[in-house]
Amino acid sequence: MIFKDLTNMGILGINNRVGRYILRHNKRKNYPLVDNKVLTAQRAEAWGIAMPENYIVIENYGSLKNLHHRLEKYNSFVIKPAKGSQGNGIVVIKEIIREEKDGEVELFFRRSNDRLMNIEEVKHHISGILSGLYSLAGQSDIAIIQEKIDKHPVFDDYSYGGIPDIRVIVFEGYPVMSMVRLPTKSSDGRANLHQGAIGAGIDLSTGHTNNAVIRNQVIEVHPDTGSKLSNLQLPYWREVLELAAQCYDMVDLGYLGADIVLTQDKGPIILELNARPGLGIQIANLAGLVPRLEKIRAEIPKNLSAKERVDFSMKNF
Amino acid sequence: MKKAIVIFTAGLILIPLGLLYYKAKVLNLSLLPQMVDDVWNFHLSIKPKGESRTFTFPIPRPSPGIKITDEKLGAKGSEVFIDSSSDSNLATWTAKEPFQDKVSYSARIDLSPIIIENIPKDYTVSYPKGLKKYLKVPELSPEDIEALESLEKAILEGNEDKTSVVRKIYYYVEEEIRRNFTRRTIYEALTSGKGSPLTKAKIFNIMARRKNVPSRIVVMVKMPDIRPGVDNGKLRFTYSNEVFLSNRWIPVDTNSGLFGERADTHLVIHRNFDEVEKLISKKYATYTIQAERAIINRYNRAEFSKEVLKSDSIFSRLSLYRLPLPLQTMFMTILLIPLGTLVLSLARNIIGIPTFGIFTPIILTLFFRETSFGFGMLFFGVVILVGIFERYILDKFYLLAVPRLSILLTLVIMLMMGYTLFSADTIISQKHLAFFPIVIVTTNIERLSIMIAEEGLFNTLKTLLGTLVIAILGYFLYAINALEMLMFTNPELLFSIIGCLILIGKYKGYRLSEFIRFRDLVKQKKRLEASSK
Repeated sequence: MIFKDLTNMGILGINNRVGRYILRHNKRKNYPLVDNKVLTAQRAEAWGIAMPENYIVIENYGSLKNLHHRLEKYNSFVIKPAKGSQGNGIVVIKEIIREEKDGEVELFFRRSNDRLMNIEEVKHHISGILSGLYSLAGQSDIAIIQEKIDKHPVFDDYSYGGIPDIRVIVFEGYPVMSMVRLPTKSSDGRANLHQGAIGAGIDLSTGHTNNAVIRNQVIEVHPDTGSKLSNLQLPYWREVLELAAQCYDMVDLGYLGADIVLTQDKGPIILELNARPGLGIQIANLAGLVPRLEKIRAEIPKNLSAKERVDFSMKNF
Repeated sequence: MKKAIVIFTAGLILIPLGLLYYKAKVLNLSLLPQMVDDVWNFHLSIKPKGESRTFTFPIPRPSPGIKITDEKLGAKGSEVFIDSSSDSNLATWTAKEPFQDKVSYSARIDLSPIIIENIPKDYTVSYPKGLKKYLKVPELSPEDIEALESLEKAILEGNEDKTSVVRKIYYYVEEEIRRNFTRRTIYEALTSGKGSPLTKAKIFNIMARRKNVPSRIVVMVKMPDIRPGVDNGKLRFTYSNEVFLSNRWIPVDTNSGLFGERADTHLVIHRNFDEVEKLISKKYATYTIQAERAIINRYNRAEFSKEVLKSDSIFSRLSLYRLPLPLQTMFMTILLIPLGTLVLSLARNIIGIPTFGIFTPIILTLFFRETSFGFGMLFFGVVILVGIFERYILDKFYLLAVPRLSILLTLVIMLMMGYTLFSADTIISQKHLAFFPIVIVTTNIERLSIMIAEEGLFNTLKTLLGTLVIAILGYFLYAINALEMLMFTNPELLFSIIGCLILIGKYKGYRLSEFIRFRDLVKQKKRLEASSK
């Protein structure tokens, strides 16, 4: 059978992920907590879990009217759909340029890819978000104007354009696998594997990278910066895993993907959560998820604290 | 899988199959309606001349090789009487006022060939009274008689049986007189070697009768050649013969070269030209003859519904054949949708073909079916173009989403209109437009355009290709007429489909596409293992 190798390595396929893990371990009623980033932020605040600050939450077209006044005071921000997926609909503004013309101030917004947007384009993008262009099922949505996170210096030589993030798969509260996603030129500065970002697998016990792929192909060095991709030690590693493990308690989803970014001042913070995390992480780690998931399902007592669960994961995976 | 689910699923799949077996073996019902042979829609339209209030014209009559259904005789303000006392039918229209309008005859006609093998030697001397009229030799001019006599001397020996005589006459007329449409007398035809179909039939007829063989001229219509590119011209009456040998009428066609045979391309209108010569002459009436292949409904549902209803089982009471015809047609299409979902589920969950939206491929398939494959593909192409247009042009206008979508919808409708106006293909005007898919597909344009922006043209085209592949697969599945009929005749098969869908839904194995996706992982892992050993 052609799938024998995949089975032997314990690779998790889509059907298995949905049928055995997502459908059984994720309660549908908890999905909004991760699918709607406004709700995630509220929940995180209550639990004392760090997330980027939401500057403005735009729920209707009326609030677009005086948007430029409200945006003026920030130096940078990110526009996000609350119910978006796979990074769709996210625009990162790294600089706001004020131009005075006949006494009137005109604002220009420099995107992370250095393209300039005027206020009309920004409003158009937001109205697109509100009408549900980027939301999971096409229903109307909320736009979030959020604090822009700066890249942690450890990634200076490992990232092109945007911010790398760390994806941790958490099963029943136990971190089971992790990778760091490094933006490239071909991913347009986004940390999205589908768009050509690098995925680098991480040893859960040590927090350094072991292997890296781009579009499912194994690579040794970053194509844009030339840095060697293995053995990069991630800072705050234990904190990263504990943060991810806490998310399970926060949203009560058994099979969860936590996206974490590292900041210089606040340490690791949650960027977003995902109830249907992708399977590319297995390629980045050159390892299958099934044995780890089954080990947890078979052996582990419930009601351990996040710290204890992280201890288990760091010892075993 | 849990035992209960296995039993439930097995039941869902097997019980309808068991019912099929029961229907076929125990109730002796056929599982499918019988195929209808190639059938013609035949139409005669006649305008009587003069002030007459009654008017008679020959019409086809059911006989061996000719099945007639759906016969319709039409004329405003007149009554129709069909005289079927002889072996041909004559329709007589009677009106209070002289005929102003055309009268018409239409029917569905199923033709099959007649082949009579082994015609025995015939030495019959006297015939019953009813056949006497077929022996009467018409009055001929002296030069005609002279020509016939010398021909008889040349080809006949004088002591043969009647079958052999007739055969010799047939060979001569068939081979030595070439077909030609100028009117000629018998003498002229025999001396020049050319004659019209009627002249040839007349010569054969007279020669047979002179040898005391009952014979008649048959009025026929040759059905048009349906192969593409064949110009049939106007349909007109043509002529052949029948001779009475060994107590039966044997068809003979000196124009088509058939002895003892009639091809399924010829429809007999009347079996005795002598009686209708005046009626079909252009002095008496003008007429047009039309015939086209009826190929839409290849299954005889009407006959089958009789069979089902007669069977008096529970199935006859639950059968969809009880529904009025338009509803039946609707359900035929609707019952195909679950089959489509089965294909879709297989393609997505077992193979892993990416599609655009979940049910878009099925909607596309239905759209292909409602219009035509060519038009569906064209529409699909247009949708992609409009999607690109929206991405690169309409995006610059900064419109809110609903008006923008509405503009797209309007554009699509404009394009369809343009297509209909400037295309010789009248496919849209003939069938009702499928509104539903238009709207659905149009809303997909927006997602398409976003996908182009977010995931790039390449990924979008890959997904579109997947959608198209499934839609085309579905289209060819739907084109299998027998499958459609099987579902319609045995709708309990829907439970089997649900059973199969449960099986697919329970499938936890890998998708075929994952074999490709994780191919590199396997390769790398094996290499690492090899190097560490």
